[in-house]
Amino acid sequence: MSETSGVPVLELENLSRRYGKTLAVEGFSLAIEPGEVIGLVGDNGAGKSTLIKMISGYVSPSSGIIKVMGQLTKFKSPKDARAAGIETVYQDLAIVDDIALWRNFFLGQELYRKVLGVRLLDVKKMAQICGEHLDEIGLTSVASPHQTATTLSGGERQSLAISRAVYFESRILLLDEPVAALSVRETRRVFDAIETAKSKGLGVLYIDHNMEHVLPVADRIAIMHKGGLLRVVTRGELSAEELADAVAHSGLSDDEE
Amino acid sequence: MILRTERLTRVSTIAWGRLTSQREFAPVMAIVILWTIFEIFSDVGFFTSSGLMSSVAALTSSLGMVAIGVTMLMISGEFDLSVSATFAFAPAIMGRLMSASINDGWDWPILPALLVALALVALVGLLNGLITTYTGVPSFIVTLGMLFFVTTLNRIVLDGLPVDLVRETGNLKKILGADVPGTPLAAPFVWMVGVGVTLAFVLRRTQFGNWTYSAGNFGGGVARAMGVPVRRVKCTNFVLTAFLAGLGGILQFADFGSSSQASGIDLNLLAIVATVVGGTSLFGTRGTIIGSMLGAIILGSVKVGLIIILIPSEWYLGLVGALLVVSAILNARVETIRRGGQRSSILG
Repeated sequence: MSETSGVPVLELENLSRRYGKTLAVEGFSLAIEPGEVIGLVGDNGAGKSTLIKMISGYVSPSSGIIKVMGQLTKFKSPKDARAAGIETVYQDLAIVDDIALWRNFFLGQELYRKVLGVRLLDVKKMAQICGEHLDEIGLTSVASPHQTATTLSGGERQSLAISRAVYFESRILLLDEPVAALSVRETRRVFDAIETAKSKGLGVLYIDHNMEHVLPVADRIAIMHKGGLLRVVTRGELSAEELADAVAHSGLSDDEE
Repeated sequence: MILRTERLTRVSTIAWGRLTSQREFAPVMAIVILWTIFEIFSDVGFFTSSGLMSSVAALTSSLGMVAIGVTMLMISGEFDLSVSATFAFAPAIMGRLMSASINDGWDWPILPALLVALALVALVGLLNGLITTYTGVPSFIVTLGMLFFVTTLNRIVLDGLPVDLVRETGNLKKILGADVPGTPLAAPFVWMVGVGVTLAFVLRRTQFGNWTYSAGNFGGGVARAMGVPVRRVKCTNFVLTAFLAGLGGILQFADFGSSSQASGIDLNLLAIVATVVGGTSLFGTRGTIIGSMLGAIILGSVKVGLIIILIPSEWYLGLVGALLVVSAILNARVETIRRGGQRSSILG
């Protein structure tokens, strides 16, 4: 990834999305550098979810452009976004319950071997790679990659999903409230996974309505308000209370929505 | 010595736990128990009687073929209630195309008639799939509508009369429906097992199988986020289900030599029963095709077995109902054990 350093991994320029008469996102611009974690905060209704949906390929922008590694992109589906190197980890939708962990790890990007010209899943290889990553993120409670995902805790699921993004050499990691409803210990586990992703050069967009959550890991914090970017603050520029005030203050005029 | 006994006990406890947490364990046990009971209480034997086994196989092959598709579809998170109508639709089309006698018969050869019939039932499945995945209306409703619609088509096509394959003597008819020499089985049973084993393999060892499992979870939400074309996966399974139901109808047509609009009439609900009895969840992702085939064998055995031990046949449906509920309770228990951290060998 170093050969492309200097180019932002993700650039959003003047992004807007209209639902009927409502402008959910309006003229949003932001760039994420490799290895940078940007916390995106804002009240409910600020347009955070619509923004994620546009970047992850669920909805297309009404206007504006998305660039990945300096390349202009247009996503027709989440598959396109994933192929471009954007991995999204949703709060509740990170992992499929009831199927083996290796199946989850490689879902949508399975490895094959050819047997008599037929493409079959290379179970052995996928289980081995998945097992290595389980060890790497310290999931000691997991005995085997053949175990189903129902045996993992919330934090373990998020960590596994993040390490999957690292394995597949994604450029951009979108995190949607990854630590909501997690214990302190579990939260630390997820933050470790984020640090690893960061150190491998991924750009991370960490979306959360809770300032406290993003503060420990974000290099910059973007505050979203009424579909637009209110301001971007660098780590240390404002204290937690000042930031919270900034978000809360921005929320004061939200009542007409 | 004592230590060794203790270790043996512990090892066998673990082995027992693993065995009982297999989804196919309960249906296999049910077959063993039922067959033993029928064997003991019957004057002519049960599994030792090739005539009775032949009846069980005939019932099992129609139901099993339908249940295999229904299982794939249920694992992908959808239902198909129209399969019983589709089952009758395929032989109705095939028979009418081939017949020269009834009204305005077409007098087609068997092969093109077969292909057209299969293409039409696949189209029924495609419609089910497209309507369900594009409108978001639950498949339960969409396919219930399709059940009524295709039932009407069957009535129009058949005009109240049965179709027959009496004049047909070609090899294709034999491949589809002749008895397997030296066994109590007819060809449809072999087809059912062949299709079931193949699809069980596809489910566990191919990308399409992995996608089918994932599509059944959370309405396919995670799978979609991972770039799986959930809509296409579900539609493919709808087509497969209708295709197998139609094929099942055609195989029975070739075996029995005739078909009517009443053919396969209860198969939609019985297929779901066979699937649940076999250990598949109604909520997607968790399921086994081998289990559904075993479930079909259970229902076939109960139907024949009750007659043979002289229990009035009215009891059949009552017993099927009881079997369904008991199986659902057992499945829930197996799930609890599996979620307790047992190694998943079904999906592994």
